Order: sequence, then structure tokens, then C-alpha cells
Amino acid sequence: MENLASNKISIVDLATRNIIEEELDDDLVLEKIGGAGITKSLYDRFADEDPIVLGAGLLTGSLVPGSSLGVITAKSPLTGRVSHVPLSLDAGMELKYSGFDYIVIKGAADKPVYLWIHDGIADLNDAGDLWGKDVWAATDHIRDLMGDDLIQVLGIGEAGEKGSDLAQICINYWQSGDRMAFGNLFGKKRLKLIAIRGMGLLEIAEPEEFIEKCAGLLSAVKSGGAAGIRGIAAMAAAVGEEDLGGWLQPLTHKHMACFNTSVPTNTFVFLDEDPALLKETAVAEPGFLLTDISPLLKLKKLGLTASDACRVLKACATYGIDGASVAELSEKAGLTDPEAIKSSFPSLKGPVSSSGDAVFSPWAAIGNQEKDAWMRRQAVAYIFGIHPIFAQLAPELTEEKLLDISSIGTELELTSETLEEVIADITG
Amino acid sequence: MKENEPCNRSDDKGHPRIGIYIGRGTSHSWLWFVEVFDRIGFFDLAFLTETELRGDGLDRCDVLAMSGGDTFAIAKGLGPEGADKLARFIANGGLYIGSCAGAYLPLHSSKEHLNLFNFVPAKIANLTRTLPEARRLREKFCTAYGCAYIFHPVREAVRLTTNGFAPFKKAPSLDAPLYGGPPLIAGGSAQVLATYSGFTEKTVFLVDKKLASDTLLGKAAVIRQKMGQGYLHLYGPHFEHPRFTVANQLLTDAMLYDLRPDPVQIHETIASEEIICGEACRNLLKNIKREISNARIVAVGLETLPVQWTIGNKLYETAKIREFIEPVWRRIKRLEKLNRMRLLPGQAGRLLQVASETTALLREVKRDLKSGIDTLYKAKDLFERLNRTSALFLEIYFRTKRMGDSRIKEFRDGQQRLSSGFLPDHQGRVCLRRCRYRSP
Repeated sequence: MENLASNKISIVDLATRNIIEEELDDDLVLEKIGGAGITKSLYDRFADEDPIVLGAGLLTGSLVPGSSLGVITAKSPLTGRVSHVPLSLDAGMELKYSGFDYIVIKGAADKPVYLWIHDGIADLNDAGDLWGKDVWAATDHIRDLMGDDLIQVLGIGEAGEKGSDLAQICINYWQSGDRMAFGNLFGKKRLKLIAIRGMGLLEIAEPEEFIEKCAGLLSAVKSGGAAGIRGIAAMAAAVGEEDLGGWLQPLTHKHMACFNTSVPTNTFVFLDEDPALLKETAVAEPGFLLTDISPLLKLKKLGLTASDACRVLKACATYGIDGASVAELSEKAGLTDPEAIKSSFPSLKGPVSSSGDAVFSPWAAIGNQEKDAWMRRQAVAYIFGIHPIFAQLAPELTEEKLLDISSIGTELELTSETLEEVIADITG
Repeated sequence: MKENEPCNRSDDKGHPRIGIYIGRGTSHSWLWFVEVFDRIGFFDLAFLTETELRGDGLDRCDVLAMSGGDTFAIAKGLGPEGADKLARFIANGGLYIGSCAGAYLPLHSSKEHLNLFNFVPAKIANLTRTLPEARRLREKFCTAYGCAYIFHPVREAVRLTTNGFAPFKKAPSLDAPLYGGPPLIAGGSAQVLATYSGFTEKTVFLVDKKLASDTLLGKAAVIRQKMGQGYLHLYGPHFEHPRFTVANQLLTDAMLYDLRPDPVQIHETIASEEIICGEACRNLLKNIKREISNARIVAVGLETLPVQWTIGNKLYETAKIREFIEPVWRRIKRLEKLNRMRLLPGQAGRLLQVASETTALLREVKRDLKSGIDTLYKAKDLFERLNRTSALFLEIYFRTKRMGDSRIKEFRDGQQRLSSGFLPDHQGRVCLRRCRYRSP
């Protein structure tokens, strides 16, 4: 597969520390398209070895609006089902440009390790110095060690190391869409983190036409219903959830979008600094990036102030535990004191409803979508690599257009029949 | 023949053997010469340090390319032995190509070290005792020269007019970038091949426009001087800059024009030389790629930091680091396509060692910069290692590229007899319909 791909799959055996590479066959793309279609296929192939499969969508990292999504596919320790978890922010894009299209991690290491993915090289290194560090310290450590602050880190904290079934794989310092306790899987495999840097290039079969179509899609999205939505609070309101605007506004410093996503779905709040500050702050850790609506809504419902709720979520991120699950279990236990909630982390256990019953993380399941339509839209987003919340907000990104642009970019005949089959495969 | 088994060979003849000076005082611009020679298929390159040039390095060369850098440091590094070797090399029919600092070097001078290289009786028009006002880039604007100064009126692309004489016949006018190179006033028997005739949209004026015009326009940009049996070609602007293809063409045309009629005869038959292919080649390339990738990642990260180092008379920005890394990076991919490498014993180990040290040093520099620690000494060490890493890799790369077609066929036949055949299509295919985006 020469276009829109690095043409390489890495298969990492943590038990033997053996890493092999395979080419990404055109036939596999013709059959499974990409993203979750292929991660699921690779999962099935290595199912006996309890794999975690990472991959990028077919259009991830391209000029298609919202093309930020990567995906992790594994069996959820919470639900026992093979599930797909989103890689948002810049993680999906960096993976796409890392020199690998897909990474299969199988087996378990006998001592802590981390995986360093860069320029088509996958290195498994000892993580003795990292094990025991919280998510933030581990991210700082690896970025300092490798000398680059743009490295994307998918890592676990104490929750994952200690086997919590609510452990989350965090993205850099922030909460991710991992509601499936994949952090627990990392811990079991003694895989502290995966560090990714993508400085590769992608080739496009028909570049002029591809870019023209992308520009057309961007224009359509910008004049569509998603236009003007800025930040996590506005996004919640846009999909029919409670309006968090007034509650969160006093802390809001700025909004941040995931890679090439024209709606900023994340909001940075200042907790220990004036949110109105325009110049660079001197405070080392001034605040927190909110990336997940659900826990915010739940913590607000518990009666927490916005500041307390954000501090709880910051603690979740450093500990590496899913904030939505923490909020749900705190409600069940009647905990409303932020310090008591934080203290409860080590003893929290599932099951929780926040993991959902679907194959996709319910991270993007906001608002009142019709279930089947939502499932299909998620599947399309995870196959092509489109931010799933953005995909909901931007119906202009139709399946036909995504298929068309994929065929232009790859020179492969990707049909709607194939897409139907792949959707059925990953949602079945 | 088995994988990794040594073999003997002698190089194809017909191409000049070109020495490129990479020793003390040079900047990254020697890599521009590499790029141009690689493009036109001159693979017989030797990378010479000051020690090698003072030794017998030039004895095996038809051409010496001296790039930009710090002229004083180059002269000091070569010393009397180097000057003597260089003079003999040219007098015996060798061709000296000097660009920028390499053009200043052989001009008549009374200054210590520089006075060892009084080969060309030309003067420079940018020497002054009264320094004019710098309008911008003050840090790159001038260099002290005894009690006087050499000042640089403009930077970037300037317009040049050729005089119609061979070997500069192909283009009546062209653009080439000027990064501190001299405006020349030819004397004696020197032939002017091109003059400065105007400025371009890209020209950056470091002094008043009128002063820049007075200093540059009408002055010689390229001169050709006979010395004994050989020639010197001195270029004020960087004709070897890879983005200026017309200039590249003239430079190589001129080189071929003045090559000695009987090139040096090299029988590079080294019994212990290795050709590796298949799995062994892939593994070695992966190890090289790992180190270069790690270095490249830190280098990109460093470019966000506002730091510059003054090393000798030259200013180094963090962006210069990748000037050394990218030429290596691009060629790793070409060797991956070839799936074979030809190298001397120990070369790969030395390359990996230096590349690994370079990465470690880059990371140290990054950490120190973030901590506010002075990094000048480490930066000096860093650029030396970057230089060494690039040279070591390129030595292997060009040694591999020098495998002639007959040798490849012999090698392939041997492989096919003994194994299932390993060589993929070694011609990198180019598809013009494709494009790349998202530069790193």
C-alpha cells in the first residue's frame, strides 16, 4: 500500500522482545479499508495472544476535515468485548506519520518496558525508571529523555500499574477516550507507555484532485451546523446536553482542537492562574485540558464547583483512571468532597455503566442519538480516521464523500459494498 | 559468494575523482557540493579532513571542492603543509573549486595563515576600514580582517551575467545565492566568467541599497585562474546550492572543461571490503536509521528554541543542525531501495558510534538550554560530530553507489546462484503524479 500509508505493520512480542514487520497489503485495505476495520482484523489474527492493536484511519493525518483519529482495539477487561477506543488530540496523526500504519502488541513483558515508535523504527526499551511514575511525570520523563516535546505519549499511571479495572491509557497529560480499561491491559503487559513521533511523509495518488476535494469538504463543514462551536461546554450544548457554559466560563483559558479538526472540542482551564492571562504563565502547571464531556456533566450533577470538578479530573489524569467511571462511582458512594473522591481512586472497581455496552468507547456518545445511526456513524469515523464527535457535528462528511476521497488518495477501488461489510464486521 | 563476504573490485573510470574538504573551518555547505555531484552521477567522492589533505589525500583526486565556512579557520587548519600540498596539487593539473570562504582562501593576503595561500592575484571589493551601518542581520554582516573589515552588503539570491566565454556558455544570466562570498576584482591573467549584475526579489540588503550596488554590481562573481598545469575556479555566490540548478550546471560544466586530460588512475582494490545485502543490509540500515532518526527528532525540537552559537567567525543557528542530518536521512531511503551496501571493515561501527554520540549530545544540549546552562562548548563538539557523522555515512553511500553495473551484475549472478535472489529493483521509480506534503 503506497498511498496514504507507510506500508508497514509492526508486530511486537513483549514476551520475547521480538519485533517483526510486515507490509500493509493492498488486498487488506481493499477488504477492510482502514482504521478499526484493519485493527479488528489484526486483533482477530492474533486473538490467542491477547493483543492490543493500534492504528490510524485511512484518512488520518490528511487534509480531510477532522482527520485526527487513531484507534486502539483490544478486549476490554470491563466488558469482555473487543472494543475500539479513540486516539484524539495529535496522537492519531503522529501515529499515522510514525512510519507504521498498524502496531500489534502481543504477549506480556517480564519487566516494565516502553515502546518508542519513530520513523518506521519500533524500539522496546526498559521502563524501570518510568514504572511508579504518575502519567504526568512519565510523560515529562520520556520527552526529556528523547529530547522532543512533540512526542505523543500513550501511558498509564498508578491505576494501570496496580491493575485497576478502571485504568485508562492517557494521551500525554490528559484524559483520553479510553473507557474500556485498556490501561489495565497495559499494566498487565507491563507496558508503561508508547511514545510516538511522526516525521514521515504520505504520498497521495492523485494529489490535485484530493486536495481540491478536501478544500470542498472544509468549505461545506465551515458553513454547516458545526460552525461556531467552540470548546467543550458549547459542544455539550450543541448536542443537547446540559449547558456547561456559565459553570465553566470563569475557568476557561482557551479552546483547543484536535489535529485538523475545525471544531475545538477541548478546553483548557486555568486552576492556579488567572484564566484571562494572555502572556505566557510562569506557573509550571497552571491548569488542565478538558477532553471528555461526560465526567464534567456527572461531577456537576454531584454538586461540585467547576474548579473542584476540574481538579478531580486532573487527579484522574495523573493517576491514570477514567474520570467518567470515577464520577459514576462517586455518585453511587455518595461522595461529593473532592479530596474524598481522589482518596477513593485505589479502591474503585467496576463494573460501571460509563463503559457502555457498545464496541466503541462511549466517549463520543453524547446527546440523544438514535442508537443504530450513532453506531454506524462511529464505525465510519473509526474506519476513515475522523474525530467521532466532529463526525456527529459535521454530517457534510458523508460516507460517499469519504469513500470517494479515499479512492482518489489511494488509487484503490473502495466501494460502498465493502464499507457495509466492514461496518458489519466491526459493529457485529 | 555469501552475504557479507568480502570481494575485490576496482572502480569504473571516466568520472573525475573529487575531493571535498570537510575539515576545520568548513560549514555545512560542503554538503551542497555532495548534493550536486550526487545528482549528476559523480559518485567518486573523497571526504578530506585537514589531516588527510596535509597527507596524501589530494594525490588521489582530480578536483578539490572547498566550500563555505570560516576562511581564517580553514587556512589555519591546513597550515603550511596544507598550503604546499594544495599548491602542488593545482600546479600538477588539479582543479580547485572554491565557493564563498573557499573563494577567499586562495586570494592574495598579507594576514597570517592566509598568506600561505597567495595563489590568485585578485582583490575583494567588500573590504573597508570604515564599517558601514548594518540595516539588518547585524550578526552576519561583517568579519574583522586585521584593522579592517570584510562586510557583506546582501544575502540570498543575486543576479549574475556570464561573459559568453567557455565554459560558461549555456546561460547568459542566472541567479545564485550569496552568503558572504566575495565581489572580486580580477587581476593578472584571471578570467572573469560571471559578474554581479543585479538583485532579485529574494535579495536581502544588509546595507544601504546604493552602497550594496556600488560594492557588488559590475564586480566579478566567478573567476578562473590558471596555475601551473591546473586551474582554480573561484565562486563568490554558492553555485553549488542545490536549489539553483542553472548555477549547478555551469559549475559542473566548468569543472569538466578544466579537468586534467589524464585523470588520476585509482585501482581501489581492497581485499577486506564488504558487500552486504538482504537481511544483513536491512539490519544495518535500520540501526543507522534509528540513530539518525533520534538525532533528527531532537534537532527539530531544538529549532523552536531561540539560540545561536558563535563558533570561530561563524554564527550557527539551531536550524543548521538539520543541514547535516537531512542529507543523510534522504540517502538512507535510497540505500533501503538498493538493499545492498559496500563498506570497509569497521566503517559501520564507527558511524553508529559517532551517530549515537551525536544524538546523546543533542539531547544534552536541549536539556542544558532548557535549564539555562551555557552550551557553547557542547555546540562546538556537536557540530564536529555532525560533520563526522555525515561524512562517515556519505563515504559508505558513495562507495555503494560506485558499484558499477557490471559489478552489480556479477554480484547479482553470484547471489542468484547461491540463494534465492535478493536484489529488488534498484532503480528508485519516480511517479510525477504523486506529491508529498506535511514537511517535518
